[in-house]
Amino acid sequence: MEELQRGLALFRPEAVLTVGLLLVVVVDSIGGARRNAATRLITLASLAVALGLAFNLQASGAKGTLFSGMLVVDPLGAAFKTVLVAAGLLVVLAFTFRNSRELHGLGQGELMALVLALVLFSLLLAAANDMVMLYLALESVSITSYPMVGYLKGDRMSNEASLKYVLFGAASTGTMLYGFSLLYGMTGTTSLPAVQEFLAAGVPEANRFAIYAVTLLVLAGFGFKIAAVPFHFWCPDVYQGAPTPVTALLSVLPKAAGLAIVLRFFYGTLSVAGTGPWDLTGSINWVDLLMVVSVLTMTVGNVAALTQTNMKRLLAYSSIAHAGYLLMGVVALSDYGARGLLVYLGAYVFMNLGAFLVVTLVHLHDGTFDLRDYPGLYRRAPFLTLAMAFFLLSLVGIPPFIGFLGKLYVFAAVIEKGMGVYATIAAANAAIAAYYYFRVLKVMTIDAGNEDKPPLKLAVADQAWLAAFALANLVPIFFWSGIESWARGALVLYAGR
Amino acid sequence: MIGLQHYLVVGAALFSLGILGLLTRRNAVNVMMSIELILNAANVNLVAFSRYAAGNMAGQLFAVFVIVVAAAEVAVALAIILTLYRLRRTPNLDEADILKG
Amino acid sequence: MTAEAAVFWAFAIVTVGSAAVVVLSRTLIYSAFALLFTFFGVAGLYVLLGADFLAATQVLIYVGGILVLLLFGVMLTHKIYDLDLKTETTQLASGVIVAAGLFVILASTGLRTQWMGVPRTPGPTTAEIGRLFLGQYLLPFEVASVLLLVALIGAAMIVRRRRDA
Repeated sequence: MEELQRGLALFRPEAVLTVGLLLVVVVDSIGGARRNAATRLITLASLAVALGLAFNLQASGAKGTLFSGMLVVDPLGAAFKTVLVAAGLLVVLAFTFRNSRELHGLGQGELMALVLALVLFSLLLAAANDMVMLYLALESVSITSYPMVGYLKGDRMSNEASLKYVLFGAASTGTMLYGFSLLYGMTGTTSLPAVQEFLAAGVPEANRFAIYAVTLLVLAGFGFKIAAVPFHFWCPDVYQGAPTPVTALLSVLPKAAGLAIVLRFFYGTLSVAGTGPWDLTGSINWVDLLMVVSVLTMTVGNVAALTQTNMKRLLAYSSIAHAGYLLMGVVALSDYGARGLLVYLGAYVFMNLGAFLVVTLVHLHDGTFDLRDYPGLYRRAPFLTLAMAFFLLSLVGIPPFIGFLGKLYVFAAVIEKGMGVYATIAAANAAIAAYYYFRVLKVMTIDAGNEDKPPLKLAVADQAWLAAFALANLVPIFFWSGIESWARGALVLYAGR
Repeated sequence: MIGLQHYLVVGAALFSLGILGLLTRRNAVNVMMSIELILNAANVNLVAFSRYAAGNMAGQLFAVFVIVVAAAEVAVALAIILTLYRLRRTPNLDEADILKG
Repeated sequence: MTAEAAVFWAFAIVTVGSAAVVVLSRTLIYSAFALLFTFFGVAGLYVLLGADFLAATQVLIYVGGILVLLLFGVMLTHKIYDLDLKTETTQLASGVIVAAGLFVILASTGLRTQWMGVPRTPGPTTAEIGRLFLGQYLLPFEVASVLLLVALIGAAMIVRRRRDA
């Protein structure tokens, strides 16, 4: 009983979100004229409180396991939770039903409930310490996002996207589950730290192949979540078909939570913290495997983005590529790597959300997602174009934007481990990516067209959010030491001990 | 003597058949059925390991949660399939082709 | 052949055989009913493995819930008089090769790997499962209920006729 009470004290962000979710459901079903405003308010309040609690959790440095080893609490997990809740809060704040043409006139209550649920389940996924909890949280995140993608019920594209998402997702996680069953059979336990101890003690030759099979099978589920090759096929269709605010949310939350669990699983279960760098357990070299996945992911993402004209698809391939860069942090298998992953994720949230906000606003005023309709925006909406320039430059990774900071960290981690070829390939990829990001900028600023269209009048709130995201992309570099100490403080990977 | 291996082979067979269905079936409901085969394959493994290898109840508990998740998943998937059918008059995946590439 | 072996083979053949029908049959309704036999076969295997609660859950939820839902799905996505309900299969040959290869790999993995060797004496499991749900597995239990709520909201929202804000 005391363990339960102690556990609940560390569980406050999730508890707040659960209460918020239940309140939203009740308020939405009670009805009334102010229902939409009320649900939105409850959602914002829950997310804000949860954010404060998550930040507190990291600052307190709490470590331990919760609920009989189902969840792990450590500063790294708390840092991920902060990023996740912040991303959710930002999306709900900046993308409203008013500034999204797609969502006009649709019921808000359900979407707010689903957003709260998505954030809640992502938090659980990022802290999962047991196979049962991991599978449950992963599937919950997926199942919550399927209806969100299909929110535009009357729209065929939205429906097709959510169908592809469901089938692909269910198949991938089912495969991952099969892998977990084999791991359970080998170790006799579903608790990930116990699995780690078992593997670290030595694996008989006969089991080597099985562990490799497990890694591949489990990678199906994880790869699907973060949209890594070859489990990325759902990504462009889903990003394009979903309402843009949902796309913005999905580009950040499941990806971040998925990367958190990839980090935990590979660092915490399939390797051991040595006296310096980490060592592999189970005698399988998953680092090489992940390196191949990472390279394929960034390359496929970047190359496919080169020819895209639909902004949502372009950003979809762009986020696939970024997952490849983010995996560099995992491949590096070191403290630097984990820190790099965290910093890059934080940067990624701001750059990606900013870009999607611009796309949403252009769609609101012009009704198009096609890049070929973007010329002349420099003249018609200079502030918007400037903000987009910030986001694009950040996505390329040019200093002084935070995208550069993120890339710097992961590249440093990889180079520090002596993986020169890998770093070179990644750098080449970044160069390829620069082409399509600059192309968007060029179309918006230099290309001729749309001279007859009137200037864009942006609402004050939209301008404010654009400014906020733009500043968030530019300013942090001046607080580099603050970011560094935050990341350093985060890096205590409890790993169930 | 029936042992662990027998059940694992059954699990492997179910999994492979599920993958076959995923690769070859066009109808969305059929694909869902194949996915259920995959989930059942994993469950058979889990319960067999619980009985013969792990000696604890974790496998069976895990299987219960898998069943719960599968139920939720099928509910959402069928809701989507139904809506798509209403719009499109076909449950075939190949004809869900507005989104290309 | 012992009684246990005979029962095992009976259930195993029913399960795998009907699974093959699910995947290969040209008629959708045959697939759905074959899936029924697959689920029952798996439930039988659970009983053999000493998982009585799980077998009952399998029948109740998989057969009574999921399969019924799938049948609704089959019925509601075809005209009611279209008795053929044919479905198409693409690229069967390459699919079979992949699946067969996968089966060989997984089955041999199953046979060659050294699994943990701690058996569990079969016995009634319901009380134990109940204890675990409120003990060690309390959090997944609660999370699962939230998941069901969210799935309910999501599915109902998608299927319901459009209601404006």
